[in-house]
Amino acid sequence: MIEAPRQSAWRRLQDAWLGTVLVLLYLPIVSVLLASLSNTRYMQFPHRVWTTSAYSDALADYTTAGLHLTSFKIALVVTLASVVIATAGALAFARYEWRGRRWYQRLLLLPIFFPQPVLGLALLLALNAAGLTPDWRTSAFTHLVWITPIVTLVISIRLYGYDVQQEEAAYDLGASRMQVFREITLPVLAPGIVSGAMFAFLLSWSNLPLSIYTTGADTTLPEWLFSRTATNYSPLVPAVAVIATALSALAVLLVWLAWSGLRRLLR
Amino acid sequence: MARSDRSGDIILSTRNVTKRYGQVEAVRELTLEIRDGEFFTIVGPSGSGKSTLIRMLGGLEAPTTGSVWLRDEDITHVPANRRPTCMVFQSLALFRHRSVGENIEFAQKMRGVPPGERRRHALEMMRIVRLPDSYYNRRIHQCSGGEQQRVALARALASDPTILFFDEPLSAIDYRLRKILEVEMKDLHRRTGKTFVYITHSLEEAMVMSDRISIMRDGNIVQTGTPRDIYSRPGSRFVAQFMGEVNVFEIREGRIASPEADVSAIGRHGYLVLRPEHLRRLDGQDAADVRFEAIVESEYMLGSRLQYHLRAGDASLVAEIPIPAATGVTPGITARWGFDLADATLTED
Repeated sequence: MIEAPRQSAWRRLQDAWLGTVLVLLYLPIVSVLLASLSNTRYMQFPHRVWTTSAYSDALADYTTAGLHLTSFKIALVVTLASVVIATAGALAFARYEWRGRRWYQRLLLLPIFFPQPVLGLALLLALNAAGLTPDWRTSAFTHLVWITPIVTLVISIRLYGYDVQQEEAAYDLGASRMQVFREITLPVLAPGIVSGAMFAFLLSWSNLPLSIYTTGADTTLPEWLFSRTATNYSPLVPAVAVIATALSALAVLLVWLAWSGLRRLLR
Repeated sequence: MARSDRSGDIILSTRNVTKRYGQVEAVRELTLEIRDGEFFTIVGPSGSGKSTLIRMLGGLEAPTTGSVWLRDEDITHVPANRRPTCMVFQSLALFRHRSVGENIEFAQKMRGVPPGERRRHALEMMRIVRLPDSYYNRRIHQCSGGEQQRVALARALASDPTILFFDEPLSAIDYRLRKILEVEMKDLHRRTGKTFVYITHSLEEAMVMSDRISIMRDGNIVQTGTPRDIYSRPGSRFVAQFMGEVNVFEIREGRIASPEADVSAIGRHGYLVLRPEHLRRLDGQDAADVRFEAIVESEYMLGSRLQYHLRAGDASLVAEIPIPAATGVTPGITARWGFDLADATLTED
């Protein structure tokens, strides 16, 4: 009973800490939302006029739709390709013993530690040397170089806690190698694959440093947001940013709902 | 399921099987014969090669040289998924993303058996291993350790193997549950009539369940026989010591040095092996072929009997006496002890 006041104080401190962290995390997002509800070209608060006209402009503007489409195309290609490459890569990374595995593990992680602007420049130079004209496809390739190792690591985490003898048991029970992969390995990896896919999509969708170097004449959403914030700011910029955030949240929600439904069906 | 008509025939054998991993020879020139319908246990210390051997028997590893035979058929290069055998792994290797029923049905699903028939068969297997029908839809993590053992057994039985392999499946289980499962395994073996090949490093498990035991050491088999034969007539000091507490005396020119005695009636050279229960405390005029005085150094309670560590000259000895007969023996006293040569075994190494 003597401990109760101390526990209560400790609990209040925990709540205050949690509240501070949440405010620091979400305040910038709220700021963007508030900025989008103004009609002035300069950020100031509180607004003299509250309006949603920037949203009407954003939805009516063909250019912003094109930006979303370009970013979506890149993110989709990167998600699909990185998941396929990373699934195989994760098996090589964490599942099988083979000669050179340690070097592979180190080399695979290298692109993550490269500063992205340096990686973007290096890849642009490589593309030029190869005679390729930068566009959204080369950008997708550069995103892949950076994102695939991350997805590989996310999927590998599933494999580290996995009893490999399950595969042997399935084989021993009469399954072919393909059946073992389909019935045992893939379902075990599935949560990692879904997480990796979501990571890949969001990292590509929001990437600026690599896209700046490698999209050529095409423009992605982060590139447009950056350039318009620097040179020609209007409430259209935060409005487009809010729409982009909402779309990425929607994409994550849809994937999560689809995955939950699939799991329920599989049970 | 009933015992086959061919019970007692050789069902599985190896001929000079060797398995090398680089420079390491895990199994060396091993020849073995297992009879149809028997509960055969391979016992050995860690690193003796028993797991490698059972993996070769099950087709999960290929021998480097030698061959594996199923009756008259050479199955050395037949992969595990095409052999009429099934393994229960040490980790059990249950599919945690599937329910109990789906685990048990797995082999039949791989063979394309329709879902209704699979379910009926799975429920039948669950009854054999004494799992309630209500467990069919349970997740693996909702089952206790003992229930998971039963699921693994049911899953293996559901594939209807001719031979069932067990790779130390009880090693990670607490003592009480292990004792229960040992009895259940033996009972299951009797009811199914299948050939069980069991690997363990536990002598106790091997003794309780097996019809025959092989002792492995350094990649080869050093002795095969019934549990009673191996316990009472070990072929070497290694087997004797592996099968439990034992007193070993070196014999030179028909004599043992400490305690000093003439044992030429049993042999002139080699080792005399004596189980602790055959070393008796002598009272008054009690007769024994070998008699000596020894100091009782310590006493240990082993449940129904007491174990005494004795010193006779340079020799450290172990004796075990049932509790009612152990009165008057306490640490620190000097007493007369003895044994009969008929209870001892002579080994060459």
